[in-house]
Amino acid sequence: MSNEMNTTRTGAAPISKVGWARQWLDRRGFFGDVAAGIIGVALMDLEQGKANTADGPEGDFSWQPGRPQFTPKARQVLHIFCPGAASHIDLWDYKPALAQYDGTPLPGAEAFFSFQGKNGNLMRSPWPFVRAGQSGKPITTMLPHMARHVDDIAFLHGMVSRTNTHGPGCIFMNTGFVREGFPSAGAWVGYALGSLNDNLPRFVAMPDVRGEPPNGKANWSAGFLPAAYQAVPMSAQQAIRNLNPPPGIGDSEERAARAYLDKVNRRYAESHAENSELAARVASYELAARMQLAAPEAAGIDREPNHIKAAYGIDDPNPLKAAYARNCLTARRFLERGVRYVSLYCASRASGVDGLLNWDAHKTLKADYERHCPIFDQPTAALLSDIKARGLLDDDVLVLWTTEFGRMPTHQEGTTGRDHNPDAFTCWLMGAGIKGGTSFGSTDDFGRKSVENVTTVHDLYATVLYLLGIDHERLTYYFNGTNRRLTDVHGHVIREILA
Amino acid sequence: MQSDKHDRASGSHRIRLCTSLILTTISAVSASAEDVDFEKQVAPILSARCVGCHQPGKAKGGLDLTTPSAALKGGEAGPAFVAGSAVESELVIRITPEGPGAKPDMPRQGEALSAAEIGVIARWIDAGAPWPETVVLKEKAKADAATWWSLQRLAIAEPPPIPAGFPTSWNTNPIDRFVAAKLSSEGLGPNPAADRRTLIRRLSYDLTGLPPTFEETRDFLADTRPDAYELLVDRLLASPRYGERWGRYWLDVVRFGESNGFERNEIINNAWPFRDYVIRSLNQDKPFTRMIREHLAGDVFAPDAPLDKLGVAFLTIGPFDDVGNQDPVQAAQIRANTVDDTIVATGSAFLGLTIGCARCHDHKFDPIPQADYYRLQSAFAGARQGAQPMATPAAIDLRNRLLQPLQSRRKEIETGLAELEKRFQARIARAQPEDPKRWTKPVPEPKGISEPLPDEPIQAVRLTIRNTDRDPYSAGGARIEEFELRSRETPQRNLALASSGAKIEAPARKPGDFGDAYAPELMIDGQLGACWVSPASPAVVTLTLPAPARIGEVFFSSDRQGLIPGRSPYNTFVGDYELEISHDGKTWKTVANSSTERPPVSEGHRLARRSRAGYDVNEAAERDRMRAEIGKIDAEIAAVPNFPTAWTGNFSQPPDSTYVHLGGDPQKKGEPVAPGSMSYLGRIMPGYALDPKAPEADRRKALADWIANPANALTWRVLANRIWYLHFGTGIVDTPGDFGYMGGKPSHPELLDWLASFLIEHEGRWKPLHRAIVTSQTYRQSSAARPDALAKDAGTRLLWRYPTRRLEGEQIRDAMLAVSGALDETRGGPGFRLFQYLQDNVATYVSLDDPGPETWRRSVYHQSPRATRVDFLADFDCPDNVTSAPARTVTVTPLQSMTQWNHRFTHRMAEKLTEQTAGIDRPEERVDALYRLVFQRQASELEKSEGAALAGIAGWPNLARVLLNSNEFLYVE
Repeated sequence: MSNEMNTTRTGAAPISKVGWARQWLDRRGFFGDVAAGIIGVALMDLEQGKANTADGPEGDFSWQPGRPQFTPKARQVLHIFCPGAASHIDLWDYKPALAQYDGTPLPGAEAFFSFQGKNGNLMRSPWPFVRAGQSGKPITTMLPHMARHVDDIAFLHGMVSRTNTHGPGCIFMNTGFVREGFPSAGAWVGYALGSLNDNLPRFVAMPDVRGEPPNGKANWSAGFLPAAYQAVPMSAQQAIRNLNPPPGIGDSEERAARAYLDKVNRRYAESHAENSELAARVASYELAARMQLAAPEAAGIDREPNHIKAAYGIDDPNPLKAAYARNCLTARRFLERGVRYVSLYCASRASGVDGLLNWDAHKTLKADYERHCPIFDQPTAALLSDIKARGLLDDDVLVLWTTEFGRMPTHQEGTTGRDHNPDAFTCWLMGAGIKGGTSFGSTDDFGRKSVENVTTVHDLYATVLYLLGIDHERLTYYFNGTNRRLTDVHGHVIREILA
Repeated sequence: MQSDKHDRASGSHRIRLCTSLILTTISAVSASAEDVDFEKQVAPILSARCVGCHQPGKAKGGLDLTTPSAALKGGEAGPAFVAGSAVESELVIRITPEGPGAKPDMPRQGEALSAAEIGVIARWIDAGAPWPETVVLKEKAKADAATWWSLQRLAIAEPPPIPAGFPTSWNTNPIDRFVAAKLSSEGLGPNPAADRRTLIRRLSYDLTGLPPTFEETRDFLADTRPDAYELLVDRLLASPRYGERWGRYWLDVVRFGESNGFERNEIINNAWPFRDYVIRSLNQDKPFTRMIREHLAGDVFAPDAPLDKLGVAFLTIGPFDDVGNQDPVQAAQIRANTVDDTIVATGSAFLGLTIGCARCHDHKFDPIPQADYYRLQSAFAGARQGAQPMATPAAIDLRNRLLQPLQSRRKEIETGLAELEKRFQARIARAQPEDPKRWTKPVPEPKGISEPLPDEPIQAVRLTIRNTDRDPYSAGGARIEEFELRSRETPQRNLALASSGAKIEAPARKPGDFGDAYAPELMIDGQLGACWVSPASPAVVTLTLPAPARIGEVFFSSDRQGLIPGRSPYNTFVGDYELEISHDGKTWKTVANSSTERPPVSEGHRLARRSRAGYDVNEAAERDRMRAEIGKIDAEIAAVPNFPTAWTGNFSQPPDSTYVHLGGDPQKKGEPVAPGSMSYLGRIMPGYALDPKAPEADRRKALADWIANPANALTWRVLANRIWYLHFGTGIVDTPGDFGYMGGKPSHPELLDWLASFLIEHEGRWKPLHRAIVTSQTYRQSSAARPDALAKDAGTRLLWRYPTRRLEGEQIRDAMLAVSGALDETRGGPGFRLFQYLQDNVATYVSLDDPGPETWRRSVYHQSPRATRVDFLADFDCPDNVTSAPARTVTVTPLQSMTQWNHRFTHRMAEKLTEQTAGIDRPEERVDALYRLVFQRQASELEKSEGAALAGIAGWPNLARVLLNSNEFLYVE
């Protein structure tokens, strides 16, 4: 290991930053004239100056985070997450045999035990499937709006998870690890590619109005990456915390106080010019001030034309649907304004009643999904249509739809719901770089197990990173003994779904 | 990608190009040719350089080089070698450079093989490539136990003489002599000593985590005693604040957190005793040897000292998944993950190695065989998460003996109460016999209850629920999906819809993060499925129509579609109830009473109906007498002091033997493993090996003794480095939790060993080492930057100055409290919360916007849940308590600025500062007073006039806010 690497580990900024800090301090006035981007870039540099990039025995790569490694197909990610384990066989993965053998035992697995205990016989989906689009893809009749998009979607029907428990399942889907403490994909992408804007966060998490997903904030944590890479939770219902001063401080007072802080900190930074962290702090207050203006503007869906609002359903009488629709519309505005990674949740955590607040239909699949599907369907489909119409799906936005695992083809003993199934589920991708109208991988006749072209969360993220211009094996960060990756030590790019 | 590059290198033209060079290489070394020994000569090269990427499960290019058959089967480019012909062998072609100075195709990572190494392989192939099928190659760890620096005995070096040009003051403390030697060898000199104001501020933050006051600073500046500095050090080390500061760091290292983590993430309210144990142990300057033993086996080493026994909470204070899983394969995996947390935490805290990497296979980088990992697993297999009473066994026994007569007397009275109830029930059964003839309506079923209503104008309907169909004595948990008022005409219409103006009122279960989850409005939304859930008993549901109407029937259900067969917790419905109607919403008339009109749901419901008739005077008197006596006994029981319980973990003999889990999979058992010492230190210290069935306590005791052994060089190097790290902001090894191959190398190896030896000499007590470090000249240097030194060592690794540092998150918050005069220094006990704790099956933590004065305690006393973000602490890089955090990062982010600038807490502290200086009339003097409080110095004339001007425009709290956000406040020089 070289000395140079040890130096970067110390946390002190490299000498080359000194010149920048000095120059910058000389030139700037508050809200001044320097191209705004420079500050964002400089802050990024500072963070990355300290980060350990791939080096040492695992590889001698010259790439530094902050830009792609090769020409990307996509620049941004919209990640729609339906927590609770949304049932593949009731939404996307058509299994005619389920109806045919409804009420008979699952061959070879009578009364087997899964997460909540004993399972009963096979149970047909409560709703028929219908063929949609040019591709004739069968999709549940519960998602009539989503059916419009099947020709743009690449389905992964052969997904498998490593756990059958929601919390670990959600963080596995978001971080590639079933244990807590690892960075979520949005944090990795922000770390790898930096910012596309200079006044909004790189990574935004939009929790559902019904609360946080299973395992809560760990789903958008920066893990061991520096705190700057965590998602900022922000939605139509929830402004960024501490964005504004408490009420009672007038504009002119606020301006005067900010200006004086700037002066005091600048003076201190000038007398310690070798420490670029100090100058970065000055800059970070300016960035915060800009965010104070930019964030409400980005979230300002009220300014949208009425036909757009109606298409999403933001005034739907169902308040849960209206709230999710507002988040969908806000997500589009975030993407337009250059937020790198948007994590949009539809549903939340486990409640005292299984399947009430999320897709976890253990007991009453029919009633639960007749509640969840209408919340999800129209707003999501409208968001996809909207970003498509704006051309964002061509070269910019890659859309992921995920959930933590699938559900059993059988009903749970004594119920009309389905238990957890880590051995088979569906995810899908759409947009920049994706070959629409494809289905890759498949489950057995009943959807019990993925059997052909089986894919994992690591394959999914290897593919996502590839489309973003990053080799997943070369995106690493040293932590507690290992150069960690989003894809752990696994992952293959799923080339079959690439455009 | 990867494979493309592989392909590029193959092909016949490549072979031709290489052949000549190979021949040259071989001939160059074959001068000394002898028979090549595969196992001694070839296998080590392949293991070290090739097998890493070419093994089962990770066969790059499809090639597996671990067995002769796999190698001959080959990969995408064909067989690895052609026995008897090195020049035709893909393996040789790949590792040979195309020309002098060129990089060969393989190995892809790291240095090229030497000509000698290539020669050995080529000669072996030419000799027919003999390789017994039984010899399976394993990837060799990069570091070798025999040579890796951190696994060697401590090297006791004489502190070097002080180099020319260094002040003589650097000659006294051995630490300075080591540092000076290194500086001098790099052509650097030291900085002069910092001024006294800087020193007291630095020391105060460093040793206590809090700033000095202006008065303390002034007194120190005026202290002319020659040992004023040393006296200050002693005073700060003796302060109880010392343990709060250094304890916080140790809590980072041992991943202390106060919630379960994972999906439920339930808060743990009795974990704080461990936090206090850590603080107390450090304040007592407890030997680290003792702390190790208490952490791993406090119950074994200190069974009669509850306050010391507490240390063993270390093993089980990590995150664990407690959702419960009926799938046995998953359950075994979850249990293995829980023990893994203990193993990894032990590795990071005490062993200084990433032992967790040996869970699935031998460690790739460090010489840790997989069996070592499972030796630790067998040591911890008996530890389970949980709490114990904090008392000696004798005290617990005494308490039980005191309670026994009281409890048996209480039981007698309870039996009397039960008999009374029986007599009462019998009497009612005789006096008011139930009348099945009146049961004209069916038993309530979740599919729905219908009650016909009289033909008259009705404005409102009221349902009083007595109990649920599952619990005869409570209405809590009753669910109703729809509550319909069906019109009299055919087809019937439901008039009770929110969309047509109906209103409904009822108490509802209300989760904090989503209050509408079980709201009463769900009963009139026209949709089945989602239910209103009753929180309490009795529950009254009142439905009001916009205008009086004639109604045919009331219909309500919890599972009309019959999605759940029978009665179950998933469709809990109404048991007994009364139904009333009102034409005006004021006067009510009962129209239905299930208790007389329907059969009881169960025998329990039958008894509950009778109970509602009430005791007569005599029965009531008897009951009250007995209840009063129970009350008295309860008071006596309460008077016997109870033991607090604390999170310590619970320990029991594991039922199963330990096996290696192949690939980390509990379902794939490998060789059996017995509890024993780590093999990689076998060269430098005695090990141990216990019987596979050794008592659980012995396993942990033996491990603790082995770690605490003075011969365990790693233990002491790791601890010395941690202490150094916190004093200087960077360790001598800059990866304090990893002294293996992937970790940093020591910048001052001799100094590190000297510090480790110093610790051993002092039984591992921390305070003597603190004293040695902070009284050194190295530590006392100023932080001023020098261009010459910056050019050579920008990171200040060599310590030519004292490195400037930003305060840690807790220090920022604590300092704001301290300078504002708001700090509540209550020590120990249950923590305070900067969040609202919400629980509805799973826990949710919501940051408080305006935490009150009850939270104005030192941050170490914050009840810190896992994997959640509490803004003031999390934004300033405090760890999330999920994994060991041996070192913190320092980030600068706009979120941080927003929090510190806008958070109510900052404004509260600014107001407090304003109050403290309220009596000062002259603005310039008041600015000066603020500077003394916040910076412990006087304001300059410029600062006075500027500050006064700002206060004039924006008010004093805004000036205080600016000072609390300033770099000068946040950085220590």
